[in-house]
Amino acid sequence: MKKILLIVSFTLLLFQNCTKVDEHVYDKYASTEFYALPRGADAALAGVYAQIPGNWGGKGYFGADQGWSDLNIMTSDEAVIPHRKSGDWELNYAQLYMREWLPSEAYIWTVWQWLYNNAIFSANLAVDQLSNAKADPSKIAEAKVLRAFFYYLAIDAFGDVPFFTNNNLPPSSIPQAKRADVYKFIVDELTANIDQLPTQKGGNYYGRFNKMSGYALLAKVYLNGEVFTGTPKYTDCIAACDKIINEGGYSLHPGAANVSSPLGYKYFELFGDVCPDDETILAIPITVDVVGRNIATVRSLRSTDGALLVASGVGSWNGTVIPPDVIAKFDPKDIRIQQFRYGASPNGPKPAGYLIYNNELTNIENPGAMSNDGARSQKWLPAAPANGGGSSNDFAIYRYADILLMKAECLLRTNGSNGDANDLVTQVRVRAGLSALPTPLTLKNVYDERGFELTWEGFRRQDMIRFGTFTQQHGGGFALDGKTINVVVPAVDEHFKLFPIPTNAINANSLLKQNPGY
Amino acid sequence: MKEPFISFKVNDFFHLKKSFPIIKLTTLLLFIICLQSEAISSSRAQLQQQKITGTVSDATTNEPLVGASIIIEGTTTGTITDANGKYSLEVSGQNAFLIISYLGYLSEKTSVTGKTIVDMSLIPDVKKLDEVVVVGYGTMLKKDLTGAAAKISGKDLNQGPISNPLQQIAGKAAGVNVTQVGSEPGSGLSVRIRGITSLIGGNDPLVVVDGIQGNMDLLNQLSPSEIESFDILKDASATAIYGSRGAPGVILITTKKSKAGKFTVEYNGTSSIDAIANKLKMMSADEWRTQRAAWNVPVSTDHGSNTDWYNLLTKTGSTQNHTLAFGGGSDNFNYRISGGAILQDGVVLNSNNNKYLGRITATQKAFDNKLTLTMNLNSEVENARNSPGGVGRAGYFSNTISNAYEARPTDPALNPDRSFFFDNSVFQYINPYAVAKTVTNEVQTNNLFGSFRADYELTKGLTAGWFGSMRKVDRYTGYYAPYISTLDAARTANGLANIATNLQTERLQDISLNYKKSIGSHNFDGIVVYEWQNQLYQGNFVQERNFPADITTYNALQFGSSAPAFINGGDRSSYKNDRTLVSYLGRINYGFMDRYLLTVSLRRDGSSVFGSNNKWGNFPSVAIAWKINEESFMSNVKVISTLKLRGGYGVTGNQQGLGPQNSLQLVGSSGQVYFNGGQITNYGVTQNANPDLKWETRYQSNIGIDFGLFDNRLTGTVDAYDATTKNLLFNYNVPTPPYPYTTMVANVGSISNKGIEVTLNYQVIKTKDMTLNLGGNVSFLQNKVLELSGNLNGISLNSDTVSWGNFTNNLGAPIYLIKGQPVGTFNIIRHDGIDAAGAETVVDRNGDGKIDTGDKSPDRFNEGSALPKYTFSFTPNFTYKNFDISMVWRGSGGNKIYNFINQHYSFFETLGKSNLLESATAKGLFTSKYGSDLWLEDGSFIRFENLTMGYRFETKNLKYISGLRISFTANNLALITKYTGLDPEINVNGANGFGTDGGMYPRTRTFAIGLNVIFK
Repeated sequence: MKKILLIVSFTLLLFQNCTKVDEHVYDKYASTEFYALPRGADAALAGVYAQIPGNWGGKGYFGADQGWSDLNIMTSDEAVIPHRKSGDWELNYAQLYMREWLPSEAYIWTVWQWLYNNAIFSANLAVDQLSNAKADPSKIAEAKVLRAFFYYLAIDAFGDVPFFTNNNLPPSSIPQAKRADVYKFIVDELTANIDQLPTQKGGNYYGRFNKMSGYALLAKVYLNGEVFTGTPKYTDCIAACDKIINEGGYSLHPGAANVSSPLGYKYFELFGDVCPDDETILAIPITVDVVGRNIATVRSLRSTDGALLVASGVGSWNGTVIPPDVIAKFDPKDIRIQQFRYGASPNGPKPAGYLIYNNELTNIENPGAMSNDGARSQKWLPAAPANGGGSSNDFAIYRYADILLMKAECLLRTNGSNGDANDLVTQVRVRAGLSALPTPLTLKNVYDERGFELTWEGFRRQDMIRFGTFTQQHGGGFALDGKTINVVVPAVDEHFKLFPIPTNAINANSLLKQNPGY
Repeated sequence: MKEPFISFKVNDFFHLKKSFPIIKLTTLLLFIICLQSEAISSSRAQLQQQKITGTVSDATTNEPLVGASIIIEGTTTGTITDANGKYSLEVSGQNAFLIISYLGYLSEKTSVTGKTIVDMSLIPDVKKLDEVVVVGYGTMLKKDLTGAAAKISGKDLNQGPISNPLQQIAGKAAGVNVTQVGSEPGSGLSVRIRGITSLIGGNDPLVVVDGIQGNMDLLNQLSPSEIESFDILKDASATAIYGSRGAPGVILITTKKSKAGKFTVEYNGTSSIDAIANKLKMMSADEWRTQRAAWNVPVSTDHGSNTDWYNLLTKTGSTQNHTLAFGGGSDNFNYRISGGAILQDGVVLNSNNNKYLGRITATQKAFDNKLTLTMNLNSEVENARNSPGGVGRAGYFSNTISNAYEARPTDPALNPDRSFFFDNSVFQYINPYAVAKTVTNEVQTNNLFGSFRADYELTKGLTAGWFGSMRKVDRYTGYYAPYISTLDAARTANGLANIATNLQTERLQDISLNYKKSIGSHNFDGIVVYEWQNQLYQGNFVQERNFPADITTYNALQFGSSAPAFINGGDRSSYKNDRTLVSYLGRINYGFMDRYLLTVSLRRDGSSVFGSNNKWGNFPSVAIAWKINEESFMSNVKVISTLKLRGGYGVTGNQQGLGPQNSLQLVGSSGQVYFNGGQITNYGVTQNANPDLKWETRYQSNIGIDFGLFDNRLTGTVDAYDATTKNLLFNYNVPTPPYPYTTMVANVGSISNKGIEVTLNYQVIKTKDMTLNLGGNVSFLQNKVLELSGNLNGISLNSDTVSWGNFTNNLGAPIYLIKGQPVGTFNIIRHDGIDAAGAETVVDRNGDGKIDTGDKSPDRFNEGSALPKYTFSFTPNFTYKNFDISMVWRGSGGNKIYNFINQHYSFFETLGKSNLLESATAKGLFTSKYGSDLWLEDGSFIRFENLTMGYRFETKNLKYISGLRISFTANNLALITKYTGLDPEINVNGANGFGTDGGMYPRTRTFAIGLNVIFK
């Protein structure tokens, strides 16, 4: 028996270390340790910016399917992906254009997930980590401005939304805050922080919030303040715009014809590989497959045009088209019409074998449009590297022309100087090769000019709501050469001005209340 | 196809009924004759002494039996056979009878009257109740077993062109559902023991090969012909000894060992021709053209050819399996060495799998047989060329062969200049023939495992053991898709190559003390074990694009472009993680009077993958059994030869669904971000943290009865069980905010499985020349999701309806997890009709004028489950003299299949870019917004899985051969089903997306010749 005990105790001695079952992590960082590293705070801030470029799976503000801008463009009057007679494209895009969405719509759920899973969470994390690391106050301010930006997008889409600034709260302490309360938070947060942001343009601040992009955001928030709260904030918007106009040092990028520029005009350099510093206030830097992607043109063109206009070997998607009624509003002299590609001799490059698109759209659901129906967009004429997954054109979230039009709109809405307003709009029009509009300038003029200047830049739904056209009938009734070439999008109930809280979000959090009407 | 099956079955049934009384009568007659002759002989038997010699052999293989005992009836005189199966014995009395017996064989009695040579061939006793079963950390006699277990060995294993050991047990054990989807070379089989116990990946049983524990992939590296037996532990009282890995059941495999004193050289080989069993009826070029005109599709979509794509991509395949084994030994030492190859050439172009297997095992005894040392080395090299998967166009990605459905029959495969045809006007067009011919997709796997075992008998009955094993799996994967493959990714990249290396190291050691003691009518057998296991996973991945030529495929990545346009964030990566499991376990078997049996076990497991708040768990079990037939009051009940009642309860765990690092909030890389004027790596939080994460717990009770009637001619087992998985691991929907991810792995819900299993075996005929054995089993299973909601860290979860399908998301996934329903319930929009524009209309169930396709939509109907409610098999076998024939019929039913292929190839809106099923014409559907029940089909089937006929040659006159058998096997001869897809045997593994037929590698019908030679 002694022998046995000896053996047993010996083995126990030998293997006493083999009772540990701690987790070893070899190939990742523990989050608490990582963000405490000197590089951790910066990485947290960079991580917020990483949420902005669009990528597959509906991530991002602009660039890929189902991003924030995509939802706001696709639900407006300026873009639709028709179902094709050849069987391409499911009906859900056409249904967005027709404003037939339900709370279970995947597109809307994707945007919600982006806002809450990616954007706001990472911004909260960055604010926390930067504060803990006692980082440069301008970086803390930057993270707070980013968070305000995301909340502005959230209330714009969904109205009353869950509001939290601390990632470690239990969900029961995250109420669905009133739209007006979140609006107040955004305004307070911006006014407290944007002056701490550096004034530097471009360079290290290309693609980041500086002081002026902070003001541009504030101006946007004020511009829509009446929609968000019922109280007009147009005077505050003018003040924010003036800050940019007077102190920002921005100017409109030249519009002149130039053979080396995309589509033959310097104007289209705004949508080229890198956004020019003179006009761009806030950009999204994009390198396809590396940092986001820009699918606007690849998704629009049909098949073989991809190889001719995007990159060799690329089959483009035959997706998004511009409804004919949108194009019809353009003055033929407007250089901005170059962005549309249709007809036997289209605008833009004409490499041998290019396809001819018909500027008509008579059926987008069943049985669908013919393969070549609908004008295409080449506004972001693909910049290299480009492939079937998109191109590398950077994207301007805010640019000076928008600010000028915003100020003009606010002047009209506050009964300010009509002449001043017209001057601002004229600056934008002259750059586009047009002349001044007759006086007095109307809100309709500004609305239309915004449509011409900012096509597919992600503001259309918001503008339509602010100008009261969003729920009205559009499209349809439009004839060219005696032929009706447009589908009719019937008027819908006012509740469509807000997207529904996604079904999945309500399922996961029973405290959330659905928006009225859904 | 149906008629022959039914008539066969009916005939067989009559045959059984008629023959039964005749056999009974013959047996009785024989018995009486024997009694009489015995009585007569006893009086005058003493005087003569004579020498009887002879050979004892196996009646089925003719192999000599070593150590068989020959005893003169009524005496203690006897001998045993030598290494050649020979014996010699002095017998006094001419009328003596010899009783010849051998473990595992039916004993025979024979008269020596007038004989000097008495040869005897013994019939293996296939259903012997005192066979040894492996129970994990030990063995038991089957008659002493208290839990529910099934043993399949030797002749009961399915024969034919076996490439995966699981094929040997398909249909052979009740409650063990082995499923094979298609016949892709090297593809694994799925096995589910007693239903779906888990939702996120922990349903595969634990595999234990000669004490080495592993996942299902451990099976891949075994030579099927080197397997002696499978023991399958089903109920918790049996599997609780494996604690936190025991919940999905355990498959224990014992490999062949040499027998003491016998040297053998044995060759086993099969060679088969594999043909495609079934094809879908797609439109021919002519039919397509007719429909094109009818649906006004532009004529430009017709490229003027006539191509049978499916034919073009397929061929006749073959499977070869060769094993040569030799071994032998003395009393103290024995060894066995085997080498083999399994060579599969698939029915789809460029899909094949070649495995080479080698094994050495040796056992040495020392110190007066107190010390036993066993060593085992096993190696496998596998070279596979796989048909590329995940190819296709936007909206439909599947394997290469399923893309043959997609290609228009009017498209040529090749252009006039022999280059591959490509149609630029179709978005992401692919030419499946180009894919099959030009994509390189290769995997080389090197498997090595070895184990060492030392047992030392400290004192009588007390044995200390040490066991250690290590397993290395090195996998090297290479992929190259050239521009001409027409794959979109390859065209964009101008040639896309990647390589991956994955290394896996598994180590295990245990230290055990085993004590056996009998005191009077009390028998004890106890064991305590300490066990430590660690699995380490490491690997890397590199990808390159833009190659100037395709010659080097993936072998020279440096030839790719380094231009930024061709480098992506995900192009290089490496990883390393591991998991450790430390366990203490003990078990006591107690038997009283050899009729009351008790088993108690307890295991305590600690695992690194559990959250920091739940590192250790306890897994107890208890089981009792009562051998009623041993009771004195049963001695008069002649008809019952064996009767045992069993009952057990146990707690088991499941942690295989948990990966390393699941419980922690970690930061990993997440692509690139433009920041501070340049591109930098972006870091992000990888998952929601859960420090409470732990194993799933399965509580299972089992009641069983084993019986043998009519001298064990009719044997059977009936088990009923009730198992509930609690702390169900699942990716629960959690609110965002505050969580950064919409789901979180946590332990909240519960699932129930209840079932009844019946196994019956009836030896209809059992004579020396002829046997007929009818075997079969049936299992009924009721699966139910009890709870998916609950409270998690104060969050009230609301996951009572969760989408569980991944194929048809755009159309509203119809497969769900719903509280109170089985896993994989079809919660589906109901087809109504078709409107004037050819669009499908569906039922607006709540009449609100809107069709909501949301998960909880009131417009959905519950239309059954993807899980079969019952599975069954029928396995008759018959031998006559040297001829044998056996069959396996098996099937399952009560489930539905969502025929996604049917849905995808039925809408005329896609005619311009794709082919459609012939059946689409009758449906006349142009489009649909829904995944409706139009595509839901009954998944029940009966398959004639295996027919094997063998003939054993007489080898007495052959100098070097002692056994020779040739056999013929046909697999998948017939299929009876209403399912209109390729094959109703689809994934029923319970994982996300199961129950949907999204295209499979074709299932083959094989015809094989087998040869078994034993050399002297």
